[in-house]
Amino acid sequence: MANLPRKLELFYDVLSPYSWLGFELLCRYQNIWNINLQLRPSFIAGIMKDSGNKPPALVPRKGKYMMMDLQHLKNFYQVPIRIPKDFLTVILEKGSLNAMRFLTAVNMEKPEMLENVSRELWMRIWSRDEDITEPQSILAAAEKAGLSKEQAKSLLENSSTDKVKNKLKETTSAACNYGAFGLPTIVVHMDNKPCVIFGSDRMEMLAYLLGEQWQGPVPSAVKGKL
Amino acid sequence: MANLPRKLELFYDVLSPYSWLGFELLCRYQNIWNINLQLRPSFIPGILKDSGNKPPALVPRKGKYMMMDLQHLKNFYQVPIRIPKDFLTVILEKGSLNAMRFLTAVNMEKPEMLENVSRELWMRIWSRDEDITEPQSILAAAEKAGLSKEQAKSLLENSSTDKVKNKLKETTSAACNYGAFGLPTIVVHMDNKPCVIFGSDRMEMLAYLLDLF
Repeated sequence: MANLPRKLELFYDVLSPYSWLGFELLCRYQNIWNINLQLRPSFIAGIMKDSGNKPPALVPRKGKYMMMDLQHLKNFYQVPIRIPKDFLTVILEKGSLNAMRFLTAVNMEKPEMLENVSRELWMRIWSRDEDITEPQSILAAAEKAGLSKEQAKSLLENSSTDKVKNKLKETTSAACNYGAFGLPTIVVHMDNKPCVIFGSDRMEMLAYLLGEQWQGPVPSAVKGKL
Repeated sequence: MANLPRKLELFYDVLSPYSWLGFELLCRYQNIWNINLQLRPSFIPGILKDSGNKPPALVPRKGKYMMMDLQHLKNFYQVPIRIPKDFLTVILEKGSLNAMRFLTAVNMEKPEMLENVSRELWMRIWSRDEDITEPQSILAAAEKAGLSKEQAKSLLENSSTDKVKNKLKETTSAACNYGAFGLPTIVVHMDNKPCVIFGSDRMEMLAYLLDLF
């Protein structure tokens, strides 16, 4: 009898570049490892506030380091990250509330599109240095991901309902209840006990915990597609 | 013609458990990869102060997470880490100044012993939950590492000279000049350009970077 797939929750926010890296790695491995990947759009600003943590970029050397680190990781992980010209404004002022509400709506009504729409939002902010806060920005990402104009518009309207706003709060709370202080936060459900992993740099250890094989950031099953 | 080994500086403090992990990994690879590993005993509070950073454990959830993370890493990395009973006191109050000054003295006079003595200090604080601040603690680690009683005592005396104190400050400053905001900080010298890596969880990426040149 084959083992049941292990449930793996990925709490993420498109404002977080390391969330993108974790997301792409897990998307690559979801059909290689025996896991059931569940995407959990969350709000990083809410997690920071609740945990008393602060965005790393507020420490100047951390900000500088992150920019360099992302350049290396972009090549190593083969994710087309490009630092926004006005890095601090994008992260600290513009934020991602509308985008994450939109992804929450997508998850509630068209969950099969969540991966694609999330990716298109990341491509805007973290690859092409484009806005993700304005309605037209979000609609553009949604349509690029494969939603029709009507579907996108309807989801955008739903984004501002209490139902969707509360769902985003709920998901963010769930991450906090797992002890999250930042994103990405991965929760692996093994033996009915959740195992919490922070960041996108514990994948080899995650493979070890799952009893799976780590084939590097670009496993052979996906190599042909790149 | 064989390539020259790439110089790799490891800035570390025995107060930092992640420094221990980075240290053990690089020690294992120093004879496998074409690198020249140079250990740089540094003072983590100096780096935090200079960079405006704070110890992660001050954020309660980070502290809790670290304890769990280290349990996993201990098994995965096979380094015998055990969380001290009074974790916060050990890190935030007792500290590592005397130990890092001692390691600085070792590095200046008996650099071939630096790896062993560093390891024995980590074994005390981060494996057996033993003190590393008192003179007898440091002497015990030094002797376990293979220094004689006399050598250990002499190095301990030298630890409190200005020469050694300044050397520790200098090394800590050097890490800061590379942009360090914590430890471990690894500086890889490739094509005469230093490449700075923070933490003990970028080793696979480090291998990739070393492979390119």
